[in-house]
Amino acid sequence: MSVIRVDLNKCIGCENCWNICPMDVFRFDYKEKKSIIAYPENCQSCGQCYLHCMGHSLGFSDESTSYAITSVR
Amino acid sequence: MTADRADHYQARLQELKIPEVEKPLKTEYHCDVLVVGCGWAGLNAAVAAKETGSDVIVVDKGTPGFSGMSAFSSSHQWFDADFGDDLDACLKEMQIGNEYIANLDWYRQWAKYSKMIAGRLLEWGILTQYPSGEDSGHYVDGDWRHDDLRGYREEFAVYDRRNKWIETLDRFSIPWLSRIMITDVLEQNGQTVGAIGFHVPSGEIMVFKAKSVILCMGGGSFKPAGFPTGCDSFDSDWIGYRHGLPIVGKEFDDFHFCASYAPGNVLSCNSWQYLENIWLCGGDIREQRIMGRARGITGSLLVPRINACLNGLMPYARTDTVKSTGRGKSSSEDPKDLRIGKWTSPLPKGDAYGAAVGMQLHLGCGIYCGIDDLEGKTSLAGLWVAGDGCNGSCVSGSSYLNSTGFTSNFCSVQGYIAGKAASKYASSSPLTEPSEELLEAERNEILRPLQTKQGFSPNWARDQLAAMMSPYWVTIVKTDRSLRNTLAVIEEFRDEVVPKIIARSPHELRLVHEMYHKTLCAEMKLRASLERKESRGYHYRADYPYRDDHYLCYIAIEKGDEGMRTRQIDIKPEWKGSVGEDYFTRYPVFRFPGESDSEILSRRSAQQTLPDDHLPEKQS
Repeated sequence: MSVIRVDLNKCIGCENCWNICPMDVFRFDYKEKKSIIAYPENCQSCGQCYLHCMGHSLGFSDESTSYAITSVR
Repeated sequence: MTADRADHYQARLQELKIPEVEKPLKTEYHCDVLVVGCGWAGLNAAVAAKETGSDVIVVDKGTPGFSGMSAFSSSHQWFDADFGDDLDACLKEMQIGNEYIANLDWYRQWAKYSKMIAGRLLEWGILTQYPSGEDSGHYVDGDWRHDDLRGYREEFAVYDRRNKWIETLDRFSIPWLSRIMITDVLEQNGQTVGAIGFHVPSGEIMVFKAKSVILCMGGGSFKPAGFPTGCDSFDSDWIGYRHGLPIVGKEFDDFHFCASYAPGNVLSCNSWQYLENIWLCGGDIREQRIMGRARGITGSLLVPRINACLNGLMPYARTDTVKSTGRGKSSSEDPKDLRIGKWTSPLPKGDAYGAAVGMQLHLGCGIYCGIDDLEGKTSLAGLWVAGDGCNGSCVSGSSYLNSTGFTSNFCSVQGYIAGKAASKYASSSPLTEPSEELLEAERNEILRPLQTKQGFSPNWARDQLAAMMSPYWVTIVKTDRSLRNTLAVIEEFRDEVVPKIIARSPHELRLVHEMYHKTLCAEMKLRASLERKESRGYHYRADYPYRDDHYLCYIAIEKGDEGMRTRQIDIKPEWKGSVGEDYFTRYPVFRFPGESDSEILSRRSAQQTLPDDHLPEKQS
């Protein structure tokens, strides 16, 4: 379970994901004005980035990715 | 999976290269009061200290409003005598439901401040009410893939309470810094002189010189089977332990109930709870409802959880949805009473609560401030603690039997009181400069994992620890054997693995420090669980499946000369109820598995003397 990228072109550079992720999953490229899913292995699937993504560039996956700490409940 | 392979996640392959993050321009700050962590407790502590005239700085490991557990609160309770709330009934429920070790003095303190605090939060816009998902037309079936969650958030974005955290800090001209992980309080000559940590994205050391520090950093828990554990890093317990402060309540520290297995997707379980307003609750405890509530909340959830572990977990029916129908609604029937209870749109839940991020058994453990403390003042001069998992006030005793929405209000009250007290202390204390030797030692310790080239990945280590601590025989159905076996493995891990965990980036530096904290708390939890040779509330010992009133105490873990030390702290007689009362009258709510068959219990009910070898050794 983690955040995924649906379409990088849709990222409008609002910085919401980078600013609000409690797990430090994101970075931001100030030159390209795009966010980066830098450390998805630490995504805790809270979905705050997905819900607050203004360009709808981010998505959410039901697939487990490696270290996902939420792989089972 | 190896650390190298982790670099090639599909999610990351499509992304731009990870850039280096600029270091903060300013890395050293001075203030009267430093507030560490800005959830319910931190926000209220900061504003209260500022109102009292202090220069306040707020730091948070994430961003205020969005980090920790506060971002996921879905209800808020307050005590309101004007609408007939019955304090005596509330106290009785706390006493019986939390099995006679709840701190009733802190409960009274809460009742005194509760309504005023809720009024402030209403004024700040945090508790503003707006249409629910169902009423707004964005709800489809409670499945996050079908519901228009983002459309709903965008329509009501102006009400998003998380943004109100920063708006409130700005309104009171309180400077705040995000993404700062505080790793230690600076102690010099027995006095707090500030705190130190680092800017998480860049790894830059950050020093805060302060007259007083309030820790509002939350806590953590080891989830029974892999609940999201991201924020469960026990940062304040680590700091408290390092400075010789007692940590209590670890044997009760656990997540809410779960007796099924399913994908642990927080978003799917919490979507509408996260997006809708915070529901206003309270006033639902009346004398005649006490036993029914206690049975409903504790008995019907706790025992099935234990049985589910003993018998095996059930598959989780994802399609089921459950609507909250006014839980926590006031009994006053007065239209002016705002406390309408919880009405969250239906969510898929089954028997499992929806995994709020970092949530633990609320208000049952943390740094202990003394039996008479009512402000969160620790025994280290200049250091206060407030909030869930941080202040071990034990207001919840063993079971967290409180009405819906208690925690968010209680943490706010604790923060407010601590903010006033720390500010008053700061007004009469000079600012002491930490010595260069102290700062240098702290800096080296913080950065060491970045400088070590060979070792273990913090992500790998985290999974090892989770595998050791998550099984039900460690957290839910404990025995002397299961606890000792696990303790032996944890000690091996502590000595052989933890010192060798390395950070390949500033991001991983945070994870390494969190592993230090988690491992320490794993050991604390095991030792506290071994010490309490009885069953009470969330602490079920299959080898001692009954309540034993010799354990009407708190189990404290402290740093000793030769490792961890455990001791029992007696509690106030008036919190214990009628100790000599018949066992079955005194514990009427539920029976632990095996309790009725217990030989010792049979002897007790026949009023025979307990065997001497059964009695715990009392310590001061």
